[in-house]
Amino acid sequence: MYNRAFLFNGIGSKPEKLLVNLPPELKEKYDDYLDAAFGRLKLNKDFDKNTGYDKKVAEWLISLICDRVIFEHYIDKGIIPDIGAGYSSGIVSISGCFGSVPHEFAHDIIMMNRATMRCLDEHGEKLDMGVVIGFSYDDISELFAGRFSPDELIIGSGNSKFHVMISGKADAVQKALDFALSEGAIKAFGFGTGVAYHHPLMKKYSQEYVDFCASTRYSAPVYPILSIFDREIMTTGEQVLRENQLNVYTPIRWDLAIKKLEELGVTEFFDVSANGAVSKFSRVSRKCKIYTLEDV
Amino acid sequence: MREITNEIRQEITDMIFDYYAEECEVERDEITMDTNPQEDLGSDSLMFVELIEMTADKYDLDIKLQSIGKYMLKAPMDTMSDVIEMFCKIYQYGNDIVNQ
Repeated sequence: MYNRAFLFNGIGSKPEKLLVNLPPELKEKYDDYLDAAFGRLKLNKDFDKNTGYDKKVAEWLISLICDRVIFEHYIDKGIIPDIGAGYSSGIVSISGCFGSVPHEFAHDIIMMNRATMRCLDEHGEKLDMGVVIGFSYDDISELFAGRFSPDELIIGSGNSKFHVMISGKADAVQKALDFALSEGAIKAFGFGTGVAYHHPLMKKYSQEYVDFCASTRYSAPVYPILSIFDREIMTTGEQVLRENQLNVYTPIRWDLAIKKLEELGVTEFFDVSANGAVSKFSRVSRKCKIYTLEDV
Repeated sequence: MREITNEIRQEITDMIFDYYAEECEVERDEITMDTNPQEDLGSDSLMFVELIEMTADKYDLDIKLQSIGKYMLKAPMDTMSDVIEMFCKIYQYGNDIVNQ
């Protein structure tokens, strides 16, 4: 029986917005982990001094390190998950926190995004992702039907009844965002990251990343993990490896993953992000609640 | 169209001020009708969606976010006064707010 689920967020939150929410005792732990990780990976702790691809991955690593600190804080408080799920790069985070791979290897996976971005640049691909607030997955599917080919734009993730992520060619993403705004989106904005995670076209540019994911042995996770792709419960290392590989080029249905967790009996969700980001874009039914670091 | 009384208007105003004060971690009396929720309080669109959901629950409204989004194209939410005016219109007109 599953009652309590931990939810891990993906990339996208600015470091300053994450760190401002860490109480002093957690900030101290974060600093220790940051020193070790950035020292090993030869990244500059002064974020602005990292350049190019390093700057992006450095920012993403901050999220992972924050997740680890908060995960351990929850465990120390006696809040133990029955199951978990990771949104986008939250899969890498949960793989480390739930013990399938060492945290160092999870960091190395994030670093491999540099190879993917380099490959995209070499091929002159102009890609992007964006978020539309105010529409559900079905709303957006209907709105975009016949306007965009799947080769240029897809829904990268249906997050909740009002939150959708889109992914694809940069010009198509921009057109889609403008169109959504004209049709009543509360807000629509692009990430400007130059990548289109969760779009199948990423597959040919991410071979190095995918191969790297398979370069170690994955242990069975300490707690089961729900796949955000096929919504199966993962209990083996092989399944967690596959989830990490699929992550780059496979669309997500986060909304359906949350629904599945509720069907499995989960009523208590714990947002493992420092800024409560998951609780903001996810929705659960009235009998359930998403707790954040602030609540704990 | 639903009638809006002065009491309901005040209740909506209080609800919105309390909400932004708590979510943005500022003192309630620091917020005025001229305060810009985004620039002065650091609020974001997800907070705004939550406020809409809260209001819909409180007053038993069936409101589509797209109706509000279309209304916002005509009437941007630059100040707390704009926000309150819009929520009063949501209360009065529901999805027909888009035609106001």
